[in-house]
Parts: sequence; structure tokens; C-alpha cells
Amino acid sequence: MSAARKVLPAPARFDLGGGAVGLHEASHAVPLVSIAVAFRSGAGVEPADKSGLARIAMRMLRRGCEGMTAEQIDFRIDVLGAEMAVDTSSSTVAIHAQVIARNVEPFVELLVRLLTTPTFPEDELGRLKRETIAEIIEGRDSDRLVAQKAMQRTFFEGHPYSRNAGGTTRTVAAIGREDVRDFYRRRVVQGNVVVALSGDVTPDGAAEIARKLVAPLPAGAAVVDDMPEPTMRPGRRLLVVDKPERTQTQILVGAMGTSPHDADHVPLVVANAVFGGTFTSRLMREVRSKRGWSYGASARTAVDRHRQAWIMWTFPAATDAAPCLELMLSLMDAWVREGVTPRELAFIQRYLVRSHAFEIDTAAKRLHQALDVELLGLPADYYSGWTHHVQAVDAATANAAVKNRIRTEDLLAVVVGTASQVLEPLRGAMGTLAESSVIPFDAE
Amino acid sequence: MATRDPAAERRAWAAGVPGRGLTYERAHAFGAEKLHRWRLDNGLTVLLLVDASAPVASYHTWFKVGSRHEKPGKTGLAHLFEHLMFNETETMKAGVFDRKLEENGAETNAATWVDWTYYYESLPSDRIKLAVKLEAERMSRLVLREPQVASEKEVVANERRYRVEDDVEGTANELLYKAAFPEHPYGWPTIGWMQDIQGFTPEDCVAFYRTYYAPNNATVVVVGDIRERDLLLAIRDAYGPLPAQIVPPEDIVPDQPQLELREHEIRKPTATEKLLLAFKGPALGDADHATLSVLSEVLFGGRAARLYRSLVVEQELAIDLRGWVSTFRDPGLFECWATAREGHTTREVQVVIDAALAGVRSDVVTEDELARAKARLELGLLQQLETIPGKAEQIGFYETVLGDPTHAFDRVEAYRRTTASDLRRVARRYLVDRARTIVRVLPEGPPAAEAAQ
Repeated sequence: MSAARKVLPAPARFDLGGGAVGLHEASHAVPLVSIAVAFRSGAGVEPADKSGLARIAMRMLRRGCEGMTAEQIDFRIDVLGAEMAVDTSSSTVAIHAQVIARNVEPFVELLVRLLTTPTFPEDELGRLKRETIAEIIEGRDSDRLVAQKAMQRTFFEGHPYSRNAGGTTRTVAAIGREDVRDFYRRRVVQGNVVVALSGDVTPDGAAEIARKLVAPLPAGAAVVDDMPEPTMRPGRRLLVVDKPERTQTQILVGAMGTSPHDADHVPLVVANAVFGGTFTSRLMREVRSKRGWSYGASARTAVDRHRQAWIMWTFPAATDAAPCLELMLSLMDAWVREGVTPRELAFIQRYLVRSHAFEIDTAAKRLHQALDVELLGLPADYYSGWTHHVQAVDAATANAAVKNRIRTEDLLAVVVGTASQVLEPLRGAMGTLAESSVIPFDAE
Repeated sequence: MATRDPAAERRAWAAGVPGRGLTYERAHAFGAEKLHRWRLDNGLTVLLLVDASAPVASYHTWFKVGSRHEKPGKTGLAHLFEHLMFNETETMKAGVFDRKLEENGAETNAATWVDWTYYYESLPSDRIKLAVKLEAERMSRLVLREPQVASEKEVVANERRYRVEDDVEGTANELLYKAAFPEHPYGWPTIGWMQDIQGFTPEDCVAFYRTYYAPNNATVVVVGDIRERDLLLAIRDAYGPLPAQIVPPEDIVPDQPQLELREHEIRKPTATEKLLLAFKGPALGDADHATLSVLSEVLFGGRAARLYRSLVVEQELAIDLRGWVSTFRDPGLFECWATAREGHTTREVQVVIDAALAGVRSDVVTEDELARAKARLELGLLQQLETIPGKAEQIGFYETVLGDPTHAFDRVEAYRRTTASDLRRVARRYLVDRARTIVRVLPEGPPAAEAAQ
């Protein structure tokens, strides 16, 4: 049998009672166990004036529990050879942990204590809020992060997707202890939780750990996600985020994409891979290989519970920003107007099908996909049938997806650069322009 | 009953290979697995590790060439090759290399640092021979003409703007190494000075390529679901005809011991002050390297670390704090990076750091602190070995820098043996306040939003 046709194991799914779900896949490659305790609701359902609450609330779990201070918890995690981090998105929030296998039992005991007996000390909340605000300020040193935040805020204006999961200096400052306790009471309930384990742990061991983690949680239903489908404002808009002394710019161009439930979602993903998904894609070839204008250039379609944005990205020198933006828009226009060729499609299908081996080459990656399906409510075969979905796309469906979804007349370009140097040339590069504006880089 | 000896079988098999040219050297214990070392007659080292956990394989080619092999005025040349090597060869037009790999589902990239350059392809395992063919091709038949060189120079200049000119930490880090190593090549940036990047000619590139891109200056590491014999024959056939080159002896000028404080300040458009503070440290191969790494973990690693707790958690003077011991072939640095919080200065931060360093020079750390640091370092090593490409990288790195492909496991043993008094000894030896280098980054003016009002 060819090595590439070897059948890999798939994660097992099991019922933990009360609506909680467990996932597990064993791998004994290294003596490590990965544990995710994930919740089916994220930053999208938190109050707009308290964005950042989901992340703060989950981080507070390790800032004090019955019988242990934050300092004792931090030490205990480290000395067990473990790591613990919080990952927050618009739709989910999760604790991701990893521990050396010989210490999995005491680590799980600690995790149960953190999940079930948090004390949310007032002084620790104040400390965490100050730390979070300092991190937000520090993030402004990254032009790429500044560009991404400005795009998210402006593209989804008025929709919960516009809120950064980390919050802003103002909204984080407004979070109180009662907000955190209320978040915990509503979200950390059996019906809202998925526990996923992978690594050096047997199926029986994993089931026992998952039950230990879930059984003490109160009963309760999953938090309802009642977000509307996002829409974007019509017209071509330009937003320049002004930062002094930039020798380079960060350029993001966004248009509305698809939801994973849309029939044309996979065709759009496939067509996008031709446009900007690989090193030899059209965008990379024209921007980097032919002209040397940017170290990188790519385009991607994000996946979430609701419709998400399609975004292309490059970072040329300030002097090349306007011609580069003009080139990006003309490539986008040709992609929408003419689509992809059958030859390009066949090439990218071979790439996507064969490289899929690296999406599923470890138990942790396979489990992460299963977790995404569970948390985001993706079609059950979204990942497991991925190669078949890709192979089923033909040129007509790929091109229809691009033409129907990507509107070149309705887009937002966000550029981080020194406005006095780049604003006017960029306005010229946009062609038809409904609106342009400049904001300082520390705007929220 | 005869005992099976796989190593002897491999030697016997190599001796019987038609055309020969391939020698089995030895097996190394790589944790519970076996890593096998082979050598071609032209000097190419081949390290193979069978890992059938997934139907993929990772093919790494490590060259013993990095920015340490450059000359002043030609800095960045080793890194430029990381770009040029994906271009035209005598049998493939520009772009074909990447397209062939993509079409076969490969992940490919490269990296350059002071002591090494490496290239990798991870492929579905039944396609791994494509990597053999392409890597052997570009090891000897790369085309280096003006259009390719000019275009990649522009890309690298943009990479430099991204990583250095417009990046606060990148700028500070470059200045730190320049100040700490006035003579040794570790003092110039691997990406190169901007004017050097812009000045490269095709002739510079050809000379560098002919000198350093040779089978006797390289190690091929393959980890994955491979058929060892098939792959070895493919490697022998593809690389066997390549001639060995005479690699010139290194011409490194070591720095005189640093006996004084070197201090620099720069201003950048940032909201907060940053501090980079560095002492001269040991080489990666020095027994003190692992010990100093444990000390770094005690002081900086994780929220419960001594300095993290003081600066970030208790006194709230800093927000980002990291420590690192350079993993270089020659002695490097023991570095500390700290970002002060708004309203606080790096001078305040430094007072706390200095007190903590004085503390580890005068007193032994607690057994709890030591156990915590060791557990974190063990976790870090296991995480690096979780994937097939991760294993290949560890093997290639330690083989290239130290000549010992399984050194990662020796380090874990060294961490386990480390005592609190060992930490105090290395603290006294290396953390000498009067002989360090400090770079401070200060904000240029008021925040943009305030200035706009």
C-alpha cells in the first residue's frame, strides 16, 4: 500500500452528559498530553462596552481558586511541566493546556479546581486589567497588528465581529468583578463546554479526565449565538492609519466572503488559493517574484460561524505603496471578471489535496479540526471530507463563487503608513473612491 | 542463536550497493528511536530517522554557512541565498522549483542565521524523492544572473524594512549585537546592512555559491515514513556525481574580552521604553550553556519566574520580559529584553533586574525554583519533538552547530544534573555588571492620538 494512502485514526466523540461533549485521539509519539476546555460562545456575545470580557474572565481562572493564590497556581502549573493559555475568538473561548504525561493526574486535579472553585479576587482582577491594557498599548508597536485591528473594526462596523477579542483600553477598564462572575455563571456550564484530549493518554483515561472536568460544572444550556449575518458598507473606501517614520506600509484589502455553510464556500476557498494562497499564486508572483515589492503577499478567506471577510495583504516600501495597491486591485478585478483557468484550477486542486497530509499529520491537528467542527457548528464532513470537496469543484463553480461573492466595487483598503507621505498617492491608486479617512495608529 | 545486528546489516548492505559511493557510519540513539548516519564519497552526510506516525516525510538540507562566513561590505550574502536558491537552475526556469513542490503538496521554506543555512521540504512520503532531485539540482546547478539577483535584493530590502527599520525590537537587537561584537561577525546582522544588500553583484553570489554550496559542507536529514534503502539509493544517485569543494578555513577575529559597560540609546515612535541588556555568554557546546539556560528559566521563564514575578506581576513596572542564551557555535550573549509600562522607565526596571542578578550571584536559588525551571525546559524539548519536521530540525541544528545530532537529549540530562550551586557559579562567571552591553529605546514624543488633538 502506498504510504500516502495509509489510513489515519480519527478523533472519537463521546457524550459527557448535560450537553457536554468529549473528543479524544491518542498519540504516543512523545510523552505529552494536550487538553482543551472550550466553550461554544466567545467575544461576539459580550456587551459592546465591555469587549475583552470573555478573555479576562477565562484568564481570571488562574488568578485564584479556593485554597490557592495566583502565585501558587502559576508555580504549580510550571513545576508539573505544563502550560496553560487562553484563546478567544468572536465565537469561542478556550483554555488550551499541555502537560508532561507523567504529571497528567495532578494537573487535571488542578484544572478541576481552577474551573470549579475560582475566587476572582478583586486585587487580581485589577492587576489583570492593567496588564491587559499595557499589552494593548504594546501591540501598537506591530504595524501588522495595527492594520488587522483597524480592518476588523472598520470592515464589520456595527456588528459584533468588529470587536477585538482582547478589547480596548476603554472597554477593559470598564470590566468589573460582577461582570466576570456573571460571565462565569452563564458560560462555564455543562451544555456550553467541549473537552478535547490528545496525546499520550488512552481512550479510557481520556474519558475519565473529561468526566472529572465536566461533572462538577453546573447544568446549563449553550449560550445562544443570535448575531445577525454581517454586511459591509457599499462603495470603495480607504482608511489610512497614520504612524510616523514608516519606511514601509501594511496594506490590507477586504471584501465580504462566505460562511462555511454556503454552497459556494469551498469553491471560493479553492479559487482564492489560485489568487493568493500559495507561493506561486497570482498575487505573490506579480507583487514579489516579478517586482520585488514585498517580502510577502497573500489572500485568505476566514472561517467562522457566520459570513466572514476575504482579505488580501502585502507590505511594500512606502514609495511602492500606491503602485502596489493599484496592482492588487487590478489583479483582484481580473480574478473576479475572468475567474481562474482550468489549468490553474487543476494545479491548485493537486496542491490542496496533497498538502492536506500536513493538516492531519498529528493527532493534535486532527483533534483541533474536530473541535472546530463542534464549536463552530461546521458541516460534519467539513474537514473529514475536505479533499473530496476540493476535487468536486470545477471551473464554473469556482468562478461563479468569485463573481457572486467578491465585489470589487464594495471593498475596504486599510493602509498603515505615514499619511503625509502615502495618502494622496493611495487615493489615486484606489480609482473610484466613495470615502477616505485618516486615523492615528493608537485610535481604538 | 545468532543475534541480529542492524548496524552490521546496514554496513554489509552499503558495501554491496552497485557503484558503491555510500558508507554506513553509525547509529545514534534518538530517544527510543535510532538515527542512522551515512556518508557519500564526496563528503555529504546523510542522517535518516524512520518515523511512520503519519504518511509524510521532512527533507532538510543544512549547510555549514551563515553570516559568520561573510566579509565586511558583503553582509547579508548568506541570507540572500535563502532567496536565490528558489530561483532558476540549469534545468528549471524561474518558478518551476516552487510549482513542482506545490503541485506535489509540499511545504517548503528556508532559514539563515549566524552559523548555518537550511532548506526544507515536507512532502507526502510517497513523493519524497522529488525533494532529493530538486535539492541535488540546486546544490550544484543554480543560475545566478542579474535579473534574479536584482529582484531578490529588492525583496530582501523589503524584508529588512519589515524586520528591522520599522520594527522597534529588530532595530534594538541589531544595535545590541553591533555593540557587543565589534570584531566577530556576530556583530553584523544576518539579514545584512541595507547598503550591502543593495550592492551585491551576480559575481559576489557565484563566488559564495561555489565556495559554500558543496556536498562536503552539507548534511541531509530525512525524518518520516520512508523506505530507507530506496531513499539512500536515490540520494546516492542524485548527489554522488557532485564534486566536493575546498571550503576555506574560517577567518574569524574573536573579540577581546569585554571589560567595560557599553551603553546606547535610540528613539523610536513607540509608547513605552524598552531595555535590552546582555552579558557575554558561553558557546552552545560549552557545558555552562545548559546551566545558564536553567538560570535564565529561573529568572525569566513563565509567570512564576523570579524576575517576571517582580517586574510584571508585583511591581507592575514592565509588561514584556524575556531572557535567552544565544545558541551559537562561538560564545554569544545572555540577553534580557524588557518593555517598561507606560509611565515607567527602563532605569526603574534595571534597578530590579540588577538586584535579582546580584541575588543569584550571592545566594543559591531554592530547590522549588530549580525544579520549576527544569520541568519547563523538559516540556519545551518534548514540544519540539512533537512533529516530524520538528525532529528533523533538531537533528540538523545540533549536527551542524555541534556535530552531534542527538544533543537535544544530552541537554535534558544536563538540565536534570544541574544544581543550585551550579547556577550560582555561572551567575558569578557570566553576569558581570561592569562588562555588559545595554540598549535603551525611548519614545520619540507624545502618543499620536494626543498629538492630533
